[in-house]
Amino acid sequence: MKVIKAIYDFLVGDMIILVGVIIALLVLALINTVSALAPLRGATGSLLVVVVIAVLTATLYREAKGQR
Amino acid sequence: MQWAIATAAFLASAVEFVEAFTIVLVVGITINWRSSLLGAFAAAVTLAIIIATLGVALVKWIPINDFRLIVGIILILFGLKWLKKAILRYSGLKALHDEEAIFEETMAEIRARGETIVPRFQPFGVALSYKSVLLEGLEVAFIVITFGSSATNSTGINGITSAAIGATIAGILVIGAGVIIKAPLTKVPENTLKFIVGIMLTSFGTFWAAEGFGFEWPLSDAFIPILVVIYLLVSYGLVTWLKWNKQHQLAMANTSSVSTTATEQEEVRP
Repeated sequence: MKVIKAIYDFLVGDMIILVGVIIALLVLALINTVSALAPLRGATGSLLVVVVIAVLTATLYREAKGQR
Repeated sequence: MQWAIATAAFLASAVEFVEAFTIVLVVGITINWRSSLLGAFAAAVTLAIIIATLGVALVKWIPINDFRLIVGIILILFGLKWLKKAILRYSGLKALHDEEAIFEETMAEIRARGETIVPRFQPFGVALSYKSVLLEGLEVAFIVITFGSSATNSTGINGITSAAIGATIAGILVIGAGVIIKAPLTKVPENTLKFIVGIMLTSFGTFWAAEGFGFEWPLSDAFIPILVVIYLLVSYGLVTWLKWNKQHQLAMANTSSVSTTATEQEEVRP
């Protein structure tokens, strides 16, 4: 458990960032493997940028809320 | 030589070396420079071995597209972590990193152990110096491996070499400056470096992660500066929003305390 915690802290140390990026990856993996979602493949880049910005905003919002 | 990779590795390493150097300096002053430098040198050798073996092995075994996807994700995670800290510090929600505080804290810790200046090698001093350089350097090693090996053609060595050169120059500069000044490097704009590295890691991470899914960016590699600009603008917006939010909260707190005092005075009056 300590090892997992150490790796988590070393890599990211923030649950919102970790979960957000994992969800983004799952969605992108679905888009790029399921043929019915093929028309969305052209939006992979923009989707990833939007998710990264959303994750950053969410984690900062939590920090700002925590300061209240 | 890949300049973007070397620059990113240089900046990331400079931040981490400043942190590691603070501990090396404390050990050098309070115990002795022999033990401190031996620990730092041993850690540098360990990191070089990690980069040389792990970096080259990863590039040789994993197909480049899968590797870019994994590396892209790791860089996004690293980049967001650094960017978040830097934005919080710029907006005043988190204190700026204080090397002097770390210096004093470690100094007090060593004094509490009763360590004194001795001319011979001191195992505790060597271990403390080794541990701090290794821990701070591990993040740099990770960035050098992931960043360097992704920005490459077929062998992966060119990117890693560029990143390693950037990291080595940063190490030499920080240690050189530290040896001349013989004090914590408080003048290094650590947060600005962290912010720039955060932007670069997130931009390259986004680029490679999407490429790992087989996506082709418009303008190819020339899209990376566009990603940098997008993340810079968003970060600027977030810093402005957080600053406004903080001031708004302070104003609200002041208003509520003034109204509470007024109510109390009303109650006291006969």
